[in-house]
Amino acid sequence: MEQGSILLVGVGGQGVVLASAIVADIALRCGFDVKQSEVHGMSQRGGVVTSHLRFGGQVHSPLIERGQVDVLVAFEWNEALRWLPQLRPGAPMIVNLQRQVPPGACRDRKSWRSGYPAVALDALARQVGDLRVCDALAIAGQAGSPKAANSALLGVLAPLLPFPESVWLDALRSHVPPATVTINERAFAAGRSLPFPEETRRHAGATRFSANGFHGRDESAPPRLEVIAVWCKGCDICVRACPTHVLALNAADKVAVVRPDACTGCRLCELLCPDFAIVVHDAEERAADLTAANHSGSEARG
Amino acid sequence: MNTAARADYRRYLRLDMMPHILCPGCGHGIVLQAMLRAIWRLGLPQDQVAVVGGIGCSSRMVGYVDFCTLHTTHGRALPFATGLKLARPELTVLAIVGDGDGLAIGGNHLIHAARRNIDVTCLLLNNAIYGMTGGQVAPTTPTEMVSATTPGGALEPSFDSCKLLEAAGASFVARGLSSAPIDLEALIVQGIQHQGFSFLEVLSDCPTYYGRYNRLGEGPEMLQAQRRHVDWVAAPLADKAFVPGFADTAAVADVALQYGVLHRETRPELSEQVHRLIAASVGEGPT
Repeated sequence: MEQGSILLVGVGGQGVVLASAIVADIALRCGFDVKQSEVHGMSQRGGVVTSHLRFGGQVHSPLIERGQVDVLVAFEWNEALRWLPQLRPGAPMIVNLQRQVPPGACRDRKSWRSGYPAVALDALARQVGDLRVCDALAIAGQAGSPKAANSALLGVLAPLLPFPESVWLDALRSHVPPATVTINERAFAAGRSLPFPEETRRHAGATRFSANGFHGRDESAPPRLEVIAVWCKGCDICVRACPTHVLALNAADKVAVVRPDACTGCRLCELLCPDFAIVVHDAEERAADLTAANHSGSEARG
Repeated sequence: MNTAARADYRRYLRLDMMPHILCPGCGHGIVLQAMLRAIWRLGLPQDQVAVVGGIGCSSRMVGYVDFCTLHTTHGRALPFATGLKLARPELTVLAIVGDGDGLAIGGNHLIHAARRNIDVTCLLLNNAIYGMTGGQVAPTTPTEMVSATTPGGALEPSFDSCKLLEAAGASFVARGLSSAPIDLEALIVQGIQHQGFSFLEVLSDCPTYYGRYNRLGEGPEMLQAQRRHVDWVAAPLADKAFVPGFADTAAVADVALQYGVLHRETRPELSEQVHRLIAASVGEGPT
């Protein structure tokens, strides 16, 4: 490989820019001319982050033409689909199975489902010749921190590029925060050692249709603590406010019920949740909800 | 008043617009929830409630509620609300303004709405900074606090909007906290029930700008700090009875602000007077 065009895509906070800086540094260390260009506008609010990276003997344009990407690294499922047309037919594509549902996608009021695309790995594999799917968040979590997911994806990327392993590790060490070097090295190694296409086949078998964390209210009584994870922004207020430590944030920074039996029903979490993501139901209310499912109008309320 | 099925305030949300755009830890969502619970408790029909907003993070709340809503120009929520109340006096009109929206750009509108004593409930969400535009200094930014435009600390003193509005003639003045959502709900209920201009300053938090610039921590820390620096002084809400003058005598030296009902009086309300005048003029007319 004398030249290459790599497109790294994800959403704000996933480390797309850091990962592309590392790859750019590696290409420079190996004597290539490198041009890198990124877009990271309103990424704090779940926006798209893309980074074009081109290396070769001499690179003139920092941007990659549509259909000319040699390796597409998608940090997020929706972004993988969005940027698919950029990929050169037959070229490899790396996909992290993490899903970040953007606010604009939660719009279907009737079914309470979002417009977020379903994970359909079989369909994607038919379009992409060399599809490499992994769960980088889980790999990084096992390595010590979910924040190292970008290093795990670099590990998956490493075998596809003509750079020596030692240069990868040197560049990784010099770019990540000093305190996290070991964790990032572990995540990189774990990503590097994933067997393909076996790993892709394993995920294709395991994923089912599941578009949105909010599946709506069914006819049975809701649980005592109802969490709408897709609305949760991980602000930590409920976790800190709960006197009996019922709640915790999970690896995806969403609130999860970890000690349901300890809940006293004080409702502090519900009252202080700025995102309407928690509702505490008590017993009478659960019964009332069932009998008056379609209770409406002011006469019943007044 | 409704006590059962407390979670049903969620039916007032426009679920197709959720989740809202406010940052993680932003107190505005807590205020929105308290407002919905207050309206639920009063049992107001959805088409009899009008919510008017200007521009800013606080005014975004208007887009997430399933009432009659108006999203208006910067600082001008109260003129729109005044016109609406005069044209449709049967509506319960709430205006949601921010601190920059209400006290800087719309400062004149705010004091004159108070002077006219129009029956509008105005919620001023004070997060001490311009959040939506990037953390610039606001008229409510306390002295010495850092913002994007005062990197060395603000030099100007800030408004005490409750004192301002009381002086301007608001007949109901209260201050609520996003960290005290049950009290806040009760204050909003009282504000809506009050005949005349009801002004509620709600202290909210902006962890994205105000908290970050001033190293006040994230949402949880900022909410806890509210409780430390603000004291409950007005009449206990349990008996719903206001004791005149209580707020003045109970001033505490070592707290920055007081919350609760700070002022209440009975004054003629504008839309009622206008419609009485119209009825009288029509009666005297040549028909």
